[in-house]
Amino acid sequence: MRRFRYEYGANPAHLLVALASFALAAWALAQALDVLSTLDRFLIWFLGAIVLHDLLFLPLYSALGLLAAGALTRGGERGRLRVAALNHLRVPALLSGLMLLVWYPLVARKGTSSFMDASGLSNEVYLERWLLLTAVLFGGSALLLALRARGLRSQV
Amino acid sequence: MPNLGPFRRGFWKSPLRGPWLASFLSSALLPLLVICALTGFLSHAAYEPDQGSNALFDEGVDLYFFHWPTSPAWLYAATQGLHIITGLAAIPILLAKLWAVIPQLFERPAIRSIAHGLERIGLALLVGGSLFVFATGVLNIQLWYPFGFSFVPAHYYAAFIFLGALSFHIATKVGVMRRAFRERGLLRPLREDLAHTEPEPELEGMLTSAPADPSPPTMTRRLLLGTVGAGSAGLAVMGAGQVVGGPFRELALLAPRGEGFGEGPNDFQVNKTFEAVGIPEDEVGSAWRLGLEVDGESRTSVGRAELLGMELVTASLPIACVEGWTTTQEWTGVRLSELARMAEVVEPSEVEVRSLQPRGAFRRATLTAAQITDPRSLLALRVNGADLSLDHGFPARVIVPALPGVHCTKWVGEMAFASSKHPASVPNPGDSDSKDSASLPTPSPASS
Repeated sequence: MRRFRYEYGANPAHLLVALASFALAAWALAQALDVLSTLDRFLIWFLGAIVLHDLLFLPLYSALGLLAAGALTRGGERGRLRVAALNHLRVPALLSGLMLLVWYPLVARKGTSSFMDASGLSNEVYLERWLLLTAVLFGGSALLLALRARGLRSQV
Repeated sequence: MPNLGPFRRGFWKSPLRGPWLASFLSSALLPLLVICALTGFLSHAAYEPDQGSNALFDEGVDLYFFHWPTSPAWLYAATQGLHIITGLAAIPILLAKLWAVIPQLFERPAIRSIAHGLERIGLALLVGGSLFVFATGVLNIQLWYPFGFSFVPAHYYAAFIFLGALSFHIATKVGVMRRAFRERGLLRPLREDLAHTEPEPELEGMLTSAPADPSPPTMTRRLLLGTVGAGSAGLAVMGAGQVVGGPFRELALLAPRGEGFGEGPNDFQVNKTFEAVGIPEDEVGSAWRLGLEVDGESRTSVGRAELLGMELVTASLPIACVEGWTTTQEWTGVRLSELARMAEVVEPSEVEVRSLQPRGAFRRATLTAAQITDPRSLLALRVNGADLSLDHGFPARVIVPALPGVHCTKWVGEMAFASSKHPASVPNPGDSDSKDSASLPTPSPASS
């Protein structure tokens, strides 16, 4: 037993769970292959999602965040007002970005014909709605910051 | 791998990352994923893939051992609404969780042991599987299909990969979670203001996502988690607005069924417009007749005026789409059981309802015996006191309580019943099975 732990790096139950999980994945892939007849696009989307998220999307929004942080707290200036301003920028940016990410097809008018065929509705309204929501988020956040500003300044 | 850039432990600066944050996000995510997965499988069962021509793809094994009930009538609206609401609400939490643990993608040594190597393969299946099911689901509800494979089987089988990897992940990480909560408290880090927000320390003897060289905090953990929670709640409300409908539909600001139609009797959400399906106008005109078939033999046909002359029933029933929206209306029409009687089928075991629609996977749907006999199951001719509009299935459509929307076939042309003894040729006394004979219907007064 100790030898197994040493060689493998965990207890035997770990190996059993790992094998069960991989067997299920292999079964699902085989089923998908049966139905889809080719797995090319399935695998491209499966692996592409990992690459796109981990190596493009996350670094991109992290870099944008660092850029904003750098600009607002330049030269190590970390007064309470500046840090608060940074967060009053971060929160609406994150929420607006999230809504764009999730509802991107509607906002960017992708799949317009299948949307109209199915629903009888136009997807024209979504860009406006998203812009309005974004304006409300940033505007509300700015207003809140203005209201907090005096208190924050006096506490520096 | 070089000890450079993201592979360097000091590269990851956020003081908020660490095992507590990851554990907290995971415990918020898990219940949503469990509900989303269960309701997803329930939706698969609600389509009754074993019945007639319902299967969208050949499944090999049959994992479902029950028939989808017809009561309560809002059952599918509830399960599928939950599927879409929990799925949407999980997205920001999943993204935050991936942000919290991203340093571990670059951890060194890349593989410490066989066990660790297997865990990393499992993580690839977990991250790929989760992003795959969420991305395809989100695209599907917005009716954009850029992926070039069939959505249903891909979403369905990727879910198995995802859930298998999730179980492995939970089994290996529950210890870390327990330790993180024991050392940091379940909620204590949420009470810290900025002055008291400290970088999360490493758990002793473990490599986690805690930063080795953190920068000073500019955000509290509660603000970070509050933002994630607000995003999650916002998406949940948009999803719920489409499910609850009525005045709440306006809350579905950015959701695909957030737009209203108007005030008229036929002004409610449509799935597939008449124009889109390409049925020639004359097929739904005055010459339209509903064909009734039993065990492959044509029995009779009936026009719309005759149907309107039969006993009409009005039922208030929701129609719920797999895409996560629902609308409840007052439907008026002839009971399906009445049509079975008209076709002179004794104890129908199922009925295949065929649309005039020339194409599409859902131009026919097979209903179970229980769905035929439910007194609220109708071939609807009218809605909210007016004739059905063409978009809602004129001359006639099916409406069955708790049945997924796409199986409530529109523009019905034929109903093909199968009797319990299939094929229902005249029973031959010589080879009749006594068990089957015992189950032949005994005439009884109508139950309602």
